[in-house]
Amino acid sequence: MTSSDITAASRHLAACHLCCKLADADLHHCPRCGTALHLRKSASIQRTLALLLTACLLYIPANLYPIMITEQLGSSEGSTILGGVVILLHHGAAPVALVIFLFSVMVPLGKFMALFYLVWTVKRHSPVSARQRTTMYQITEFVGKWSMVDVFVVAILVALVHLGGLLSIRPGLAALCFAGVVIITMVAAESFDPRLIWDKTEENGRKKT
Amino acid sequence: MACHSCDKLVNVASLEEGESAFCPRCGHFLTRKLPDAYGRILSFTIAGIILLIMANSYSFLSFSSTGLESVITLRETPGAVWQYGMPVVAVLVAAFIIIIPAFILLLLLLLCIPLYAGQYRPWLVPVAKGVFLSHNWSMVEVFIIGVIVSLVKIADMATVGLGISFWAYAGFAICFTVAISSLDRYQCWERIEALQRQ
Repeated sequence: MTSSDITAASRHLAACHLCCKLADADLHHCPRCGTALHLRKSASIQRTLALLLTACLLYIPANLYPIMITEQLGSSEGSTILGGVVILLHHGAAPVALVIFLFSVMVPLGKFMALFYLVWTVKRHSPVSARQRTTMYQITEFVGKWSMVDVFVVAILVALVHLGGLLSIRPGLAALCFAGVVIITMVAAESFDPRLIWDKTEENGRKKT
Repeated sequence: MACHSCDKLVNVASLEEGESAFCPRCGHFLTRKLPDAYGRILSFTIAGIILLIMANSYSFLSFSSTGLESVITLRETPGAVWQYGMPVVAVLVAAFIIIIPAFILLLLLLLCIPLYAGQYRPWLVPVAKGVFLSHNWSMVEVFIIGVIVSLVKIADMATVGLGISFWAYAGFAICFTVAISSLDRYQCWERIEALQRQ
């Protein structure tokens, strides 16, 4: 740790997370915008873990139930998220299948793993590069809302595809569960405080010297 | 200011117009000074509002097969989900693609006119809070990708047509994204505080 790496917390200053104002940490509200001030987000690890577990549980019905049900000439057929990807592949629409697979399967799973890993390394005082973990957190935060693509696709198809009794599409239960997963993981990523990653590396650095 | 990602104290007072600042320790983006930021945001906001009104007044997509045709407007997208018994999903979709973005554009208008003119107004602080609290929850660009994916999905089932409203919405998405990304959190609050002191 170099001497220039002075943190706001070590000077007993809290940065307002809404307006970036630096203020004395003993004040409870930001003097500029009135938002609650904390040195670090309160109970960050617990909140992130609790929300992550909720999202993981919701992810199970989101994959088991059909996300949309196609009714064609009286017969109805449901398709799950993964089923939809397989159908697209059979139709030869590989790029779209890849987009759906990426946003609806890889991104949620990647977010679960990334956030669990970050929480775990913060708890364990991991020696893994703090900079790399910060990048990992930023990607997790950025990618969050893109998983909503599948829910929007269902909404558009449901509205667009109804030709009398010939053909129509209904939304399935998984659409609700999946929207829940996306929103809860977004809140989970928000409640994780990346500054905790750096606090621990500072402690480790002090122990070594 | 303190880096939001690692809490390092960084002095950004010497930042010139057109320059961006990144945290020397963790590489996180800190702030940037855009030349004439508020005039730029204002023009994209006004364009965005006009395009969003257009996107809500014409037909969005059409779908035809074996002589039958169905045409939808933008509003019918969440509306149809509501009719099939999923009001929660419908409200979420409507909020993410229309309500929250429209709300943000109106707030941007209220925020950037006084900032552009250099006058303090009592509503600046609550309006700025509203913008920075809600801007993560607009998903206009995600919705555009959603439309493209759905078009490819049903392209071989029937003929699909893009309405005026679709192009208006695409333009709105671009204006919205440019406007919101030109608004710098740190610089905006510093300017509000400077105006407040006067």
